[in-house]
Amino acid sequence: MPQTTIYAAPRTPPPAVATHELARLFGRNAALAGVSLRVDRGRLIALRGPNGAGKTTLLRILATSLRPSFGTAYVDGVDVAARPDAVRARVAYLGHANGLYDDLTAEENLSFAARLLGMTDAAEVAEAVSRVLTEVGLEADATRRVRGFSAGMRRRLALGRLLLRIPSLILLDEPHAALDADGQALVDRLLATWHERGATVLVASHQSERVARQADGWARLDGGLLTDVGGEGVAAGESMIPAAAPLTTPVAADR
Amino acid sequence: MRADAAVAWQIARKDALAELRGRSAVGSTLFFAALVLLLFGFALGPDSRRLTEAAPGLLWLAIVFGGLLTVSRLHQLEADDGALEELARYPVERHAIYAGKALAGFGAMVVLGAVLLPIVALLYGIDLAGAWAPLTATLLLGALGFAAVGTFYAGVTVRMRAREVMLPLLMLPVIAPLLLASVKATAAALGADPFDGFWSWLQLLAAFDVVMLVAGGLTYGQLLDE
Repeated sequence: MPQTTIYAAPRTPPPAVATHELARLFGRNAALAGVSLRVDRGRLIALRGPNGAGKTTLLRILATSLRPSFGTAYVDGVDVAARPDAVRARVAYLGHANGLYDDLTAEENLSFAARLLGMTDAAEVAEAVSRVLTEVGLEADATRRVRGFSAGMRRRLALGRLLLRIPSLILLDEPHAALDADGQALVDRLLATWHERGATVLVASHQSERVARQADGWARLDGGLLTDVGGEGVAAGESMIPAAAPLTTPVAADR
Repeated sequence: MRADAAVAWQIARKDALAELRGRSAVGSTLFFAALVLLLFGFALGPDSRRLTEAAPGLLWLAIVFGGLLTVSRLHQLEADDGALEELARYPVERHAIYAGKALAGFGAMVVLGAVLLPIVALLYGIDLAGAWAPLTATLLLGALGFAAVGTFYAGVTVRMRAREVMLPLLMLPVIAPLLLASVKATAAALGADPFDGFWSWLQLLAAFDVVMLVAGGLTYGQLLDE
């Protein structure tokens, strides 16, 4: 009797990020006006564009902080608008604001974050917090309240919060802001580490040359539109809108 | 469920720490509430009967003033430096965030009530002996309802520019039944027979709390999304 061999169809994992005609309006202004973008897993992609291009809006939608007005966005194949809870477990985001509590110490801020990220064991939390504080160079300031921190120290601590876990997608909005040379080198090291560990990283930074040295590819936004992509691991979606007139006047600055 | 309770506890603990460390805010709230009681005491004069009759209403008036400042401040902590957006991005249930903020508000309200109650007794010459149990029950249920509603409306107004004005405007009409029941239950507790009519008002308070906690837990998550 002849044997039948059944081959399973190869399953291609979904891209880390896929957006289709993604748009976000603030009042009558379109901060994003139909962006279709695909980012492959494990890639470090630089988001380029002038102020008000829509970079922050795109990152905030992917981080579930903003709902899209139109279109769809997927993270690891999960719809950001339909299943934000599932997306939050996969994404880490550093925005313009640091999201810290001034009256808590550096240690307490990280412990709080660790607990909300699901760490339950006190020893595990303490170990993770200590490791992160050392990694971002704030071990000597662990018990100081954040209110007394400089802007650069606050940024380091916010970066440290991202190190409490290894998510599959890391979204960074101006991570170099407020940092001195050492701090900027820290960001470079973190980008390299995440990249090595296979996380997908999207970075919007005005230090484009610095990021470009490490990035696999780049996507350029302007006036809420995706105008160009380049390098590896990133592609404009099928329905990429050419750089024509936006739906309405773009906002002056990202929100 | 256990994970949600742990998240709520962490949020409440964090709020309590921040509130205690911002000592000037705690002090000013207590001072403001105590000042209301003192001024009304002077205005009403030395007539002990009038003072006793007015005490339940004035106690809750002071608690409401202090409570409005407290629930607003607990959300203001989150608005500073984008912490509310950060809090909303954690992979936790939205009702757990609401429960944590409401628990912090409840704790602050109970402390406020516990400080103001002896002040009322002292200023208005009221004997609290024998009324502790019904007064405590009223205070706990009143504080819980206030925190349940206050947390929701503080979430509504936290991104508004005129939040200090909007919070009482939106909240006070909703808590009218709670205030009525709290004042009546307090009056009953301080009356000759502490349990005359007391249970009816206490039941109303409990029902109000349950409805508001469920409604807040179900809807608060919508406020966190832009």
